[in-house]
Amino acid sequence: MKCPRCVQVIHRGATVCPHCGFGIAEADAKYGGEDVSLRRLADVAGLIRNRERGKVAAAIERFGRRFPQLFFAVYTGSGQGGGNLRQFGFWLLNRAAFEDVPVDRPNEAGILLVIDAETKSAAVTWGYLLDPFLTEEDTFQCLSRAHAYWLEGRYAEGTLRMIAQLEKVLKKKAAQARRDPERFERKVAPPPRTGEIARRIREGHKHAAVKTTEVSR
Amino acid sequence: MKFPVWILSAGLALGAAPPMPEWQPDDLKALKKGDLVPGLLLLTEDRERSVPVAPEGPVPTPEELAEASKPSPVVAEKYLEGYFAKRPEGFLVDPQGLLGTKEHRDRAKFLDYHSGDSRIDLFVYLFDGHQEIPSEVREEEIVERHFSQGRPAVVVYYYLGAPERSDIYVSPLISDAVSSAEQRRALASSVEEALEKPDKFAQFEAFCVQLSIRIYWMEKAAGLVRDAPPRVAALPRPEAVEEREPEHGELALKLQKVLREWGASAAIMVGAILTVVAGLWVVRSRSRYRFPVFDVPPRLGGAHAAGIGAVISFGSTTQSPSSQRNDVPDYLGL
Repeated sequence: MKCPRCVQVIHRGATVCPHCGFGIAEADAKYGGEDVSLRRLADVAGLIRNRERGKVAAAIERFGRRFPQLFFAVYTGSGQGGGNLRQFGFWLLNRAAFEDVPVDRPNEAGILLVIDAETKSAAVTWGYLLDPFLTEEDTFQCLSRAHAYWLEGRYAEGTLRMIAQLEKVLKKKAAQARRDPERFERKVAPPPRTGEIARRIREGHKHAAVKTTEVSR
Repeated sequence: MKFPVWILSAGLALGAAPPMPEWQPDDLKALKKGDLVPGLLLLTEDRERSVPVAPEGPVPTPEELAEASKPSPVVAEKYLEGYFAKRPEGFLVDPQGLLGTKEHRDRAKFLDYHSGDSRIDLFVYLFDGHQEIPSEVREEEIVERHFSQGRPAVVVYYYLGAPERSDIYVSPLISDAVSSAEQRRALASSVEEALEKPDKFAQFEAFCVQLSIRIYWMEKAAGLVRDAPPRVAALPRPEAVEEREPEHGELALKLQKVLREWGASAAIMVGAILTVVAGLWVVRSRSRYRFPVFDVPPRLGGAHAAGIGAVISFGSTTQSPSSQRNDVPDYLGL
């Protein structure tokens, strides 16, 4: 879990970044505090050709069918993130109201791909539901699959590759989570409070003392 | 030693000699009178026999006699129907039977092979070297009449023993694509090949082989073939064809035997495998993947999301994706 601004690791439940003080309020001040109405395929920069738009839309739809809890969205812009794609993606997934997503799939279940044509970069942001399952490395693998296509300006093909790779990663993670859900739960469990830690330590000492007495008898 | 042998052999020779003729008394009297001349009978018989018979008409000259001994140069009328009445059923047209059985079979087999391997058929009308086609038969008209339909064809009028007299015609289907100059060159090349052979049958064989090769060039010119199969090397000798046939037959028999024994089992097994593969594909394509939902406390004030993934730049074609991965904090990039 990293801060979208300073890319430093932050603890679970931090209301602002302990390193740089970044929070949603700062992002709202930068990009706006109102909700934004969007569709899952929002090609604002016009990077995807009309005849390929259907393929990308079909891939997004197929993703939604395979993962009934999740949805995938693509946003292409030109300089709208001001060069800060992490911050922009973080803000957009929190403020977007997706018109073509069923209400039973909130933004917590969303994965957003942001492509900036001006800075020629792309970023991935995901909702809280996927926090235990997705890592930065996973998303880098997906973006790497698309890299060669995006270099040649073939944005639709790159996006299709990226979605295909993301499906592979998520299938694998879903299978692992079915076998061992605790492993993923531990990743997002709330941090123990300081008093709780002290109590556990004391309990541990007590148990140790009892055992010692038993042995001496 | 030699003397007794000589005596013995002389005695044997005398004993084996035939008796000498003797004069009859009447003949001897007539001889003495001079009425009988010895050998007169033989002389008088010859004289009577050698009496020349006076010719009724004018006496033919030696040139006329020589000309009369030659057969007529024009193809006999009885063969014309066999040659020109209809489109020939075989590729070798020889109603006069100028070729022997073996030669005829070999050449016909070669022309059949050519037809199977080429898109242009080769028809050969065979005449004797001294023969002439009757003037009322127009060769071009025959070709137009019989070869306008069906597969394109090259028609050759070949004179056995005189290949230089040969004529070539092509069916109207390819006459546009194959120029008359190209036809002439093909014919000349084939005639040259033929003239290198000593006898007329070898000439005819060489002529057919060379013309078959040139027809392949015509095919290419006409756009009937695109690639170049190793055709010349594959031209089989008739004997080779005869040798291969049993091999193909044996292979086919073996294949049929194996199919009879194992065909049903193999089909069932392949069908089962395909069914399983198709079933797996259907199951996998219809699979739905779900994740357990955990309670995740919100971060950085974001109500729905704070999962920050990778950022990648695709501005440089010379650098790898890893080297274009953006790990720099945004505030340093500003």
